[in-house]
Amino acid sequence: MTTLRFPLSRIEGHARVEMEVEDGKVVSAQFQAIEMRGFRYFMQGTPAEQMPVIVPRICGVCSTAHHVASVKALEDIFEVEPPELAKEIRELLLLGQLIQNQATSLFIFTMPDRVGASSIFHMDESEADPEQQLSLAQRALKVRQIGTKLITLAGGQFIHPIKAIIGGITSGIKKEDAEKMLSEVREMLPIACTLFDEYWEMSLAMRERIGTWGDDQPAFYIASTGRTRPQLNSDTIRVLGPDGAERASFPPHLIREYLDYQETEYSYSGQSSYQGQVLRANSLARMNLALSMGTPCADDYLDRLTSTFGKPAHPILLFDLCRGIEMVYAFERAIEILSKDLDYEDTDVPYTPKDGEGYGLVEAPRGPLVHHYTVKDGLIEDAEFIIPTVHNMLAIERALMVAGDRYVSPSGINLELEKAVGRVVRAFDPCIACATQ
Amino acid sequence: MSVTNQSLPRFAVLQLSGCAGCEVSLLNANEWVEKYQLVYMPLVVSTHTVPEDTEILLVSGGVRNDEDVYNLRRAVKIVDRVIAVGTCAISGGVANLGDRDEVREMFMSQANRHHLPHLLPKSRPIDAFVDVDLYLPGCPPTPELFMGALTGPENFQASSIVCQECGRKKLKDMRPKHLLGFQQGEVLPDICLINQGYLCVGSSTRGGCRAICTRPGHPCVGCRGPSDAYIEKESSVWFDRVQQVFERLTDIPPQEIYDALHSPQLSLFLFQFTDYMGNGGPTRPKEKVL
Ligand code: SF4
Ligand code: SF4
Ligand code: SF4
Repeated sequence: MTTLRFPLSRIEGHARVEMEVEDGKVVSAQFQAIEMRGFRYFMQGTPAEQMPVIVPRICGVCSTAHHVASVKALEDIFEVEPPELAKEIRELLLLGQLIQNQATSLFIFTMPDRVGASSIFHMDESEADPEQQLSLAQRALKVRQIGTKLITLAGGQFIHPIKAIIGGITSGIKKEDAEKMLSEVREMLPIACTLFDEYWEMSLAMRERIGTWGDDQPAFYIASTGRTRPQLNSDTIRVLGPDGAERASFPPHLIREYLDYQETEYSYSGQSSYQGQVLRANSLARMNLALSMGTPCADDYLDRLTSTFGKPAHPILLFDLCRGIEMVYAFERAIEILSKDLDYEDTDVPYTPKDGEGYGLVEAPRGPLVHHYTVKDGLIEDAEFIIPTVHNMLAIERALMVAGDRYVSPSGINLELEKAVGRVVRAFDPCIACATQ
Repeated sequence: MSVTNQSLPRFAVLQLSGCAGCEVSLLNANEWVEKYQLVYMPLVVSTHTVPEDTEILLVSGGVRNDEDVYNLRRAVKIVDRVIAVGTCAISGGVANLGDRDEVREMFMSQANRHHLPHLLPKSRPIDAFVDVDLYLPGCPPTPELFMGALTGPENFQASSIVCQECGRKKLKDMRPKHLLGFQQGEVLPDICLINQGYLCVGSSTRGGCRAICTRPGHPCVGCRGPSDAYIEKESSVWFDRVQQVFERLTDIPPQEIYDALHSPQLSLFLFQFTDYMGNGGPTRPKEKVL
């Protein structure tokens, strides 16, 4: 028996893959999260109302999602409903996060795989289109920055935002600030679309070269967005069957009842499944759920995806294309929200802290994120973080086995395997800091 | 930038146990792309070790497990200059909240996995293991601060404390009688948050972040750490200083402020300050802190 160990890069956090090979066949594939800080443990005893400031530090890539989920969990306990303006600004925050994350995954994490470079900063662009004033990398960073700017505008800080508070938000957005942002988003939308078109082309070329879109066996899907348009801030989690039919829909406090969860000895992250079956979260899950995006450009892309690959679609490299569709959607939706009046008084409602148990759900870029707190005497007695990457763990391992079967044979191990491992893992865009906290 | 220019100075980013927020902030500081060559940073480059001829090493995240120790020691041997970035690398950061006996016991007994990098009893700052040439505090440091650290602190202008960058006015005649805690009511623009009853510690926190929290109305939680006046002193000195500011500007009973600052809960809130003195380790001389 031989053990192959693959270090991983261009993902969030520290993880590696171990494959065991016996008689020219891969017999197991483990995705190992190798870091852990212990938020679940050290949050105990923290004053509940401080959670929205501390928990973004679980992850600097998804801090916005944690910030909002935390506020929602406390609102659930304190029984307060934020006003409309607060909901809109929180949505804007989550859209900024979606743009930043999907652009990072598309351009910084996975585009180098498509052109055979070690990073976006090392791509050979000597044959780049001379029509384009800026290099691919420069355009990609600019598109990504729109996400950052939106988070800053709506959240006060672009990495660990602060403006969502229990009962609402600290302030609205001034008209002139909204207009300035609006014109930047409008200006960058076509650039984002062009980049995504180039990415789509590169993906097709890569498919030609490697001959596969990766693991395309059926799976269950989990998401908390809507069918007719994405809803990043909903109260319902849905599970789709491999045929695309809805199998379950439930509020966040029932998530543990619907999903099975287990810990493993080989990883600091747990794994979840649905009735013992492989479950997938993240962009492909949402696109399999969505009948439409509700915005014109994103709908065009969704139609293109559906007409090419059907619905539900299962090949894992489509996760990457779905991220592009969502990036475009987030641009368009941000334009809609920024065009409204976001500068009026009704920012928050008063609340009275109390003890109890509560849940906060948001659709993070990687899937439904749930914060579950128990508060006693104003302090956190228990904090549970139910992380979307954890729902993808079994799906990642299955896809690794598929890649292993493809590139390992009795005659030897094809050198393409290492690249395939990277592509598989990046398709799921796992976040290890979140998965292990 | 079509092909990375080989003559530019080479820098690497070693990510230990952190949240990647520091790296994301660095990515937002686009300007370095023209001036430096990034040779190692697992988040964005697939190279698996720090290459031999690297000049500058940025280290983010705290030392949480034995692999962190190994990677850190190995990397600093290669480079000329080591910069500790972010609160996690400098003081252990948010993971320091676990520095309580009962938490540590539970953590060590339940969390450790035998076949994986072994967890240390607590998150440690990197200078507990290696020498550091420059400290860049912040959680995370802003892109502007990153550029300052890379190009050299002499090129970076900052005020000594957050208050000077905040622009909110401290009033003599608006004197709250109690701390508001976290029950944020409306936040008035342009007026110091202390006058409005919030526990803002900007008055003893080092400047350079341009007061990004207090301007939109959120109290400073001190992520940039103590200002030069306090950085080489016991944490009790800056506690006293914050206390004095509140006594001068408010009618909040001194005991209430004292309790707030010293209660385990609120010192959790000010997690960024814990262990700044190095806890028996080296102090961080102000000349080395940006
Ligand atoms: S200092 Fe803050 S932003 Fe940086 S890694 Fe630590 S928690 Fe994240
Ligand atoms: S105490 Fe806080 S709000 Fe007041 S001036 Fe200083 S930083 Fe600004
Ligand atoms: S205002 Fe305070 S908490 Fe906010 S970034 Fe500056 S130092 Fe950090």
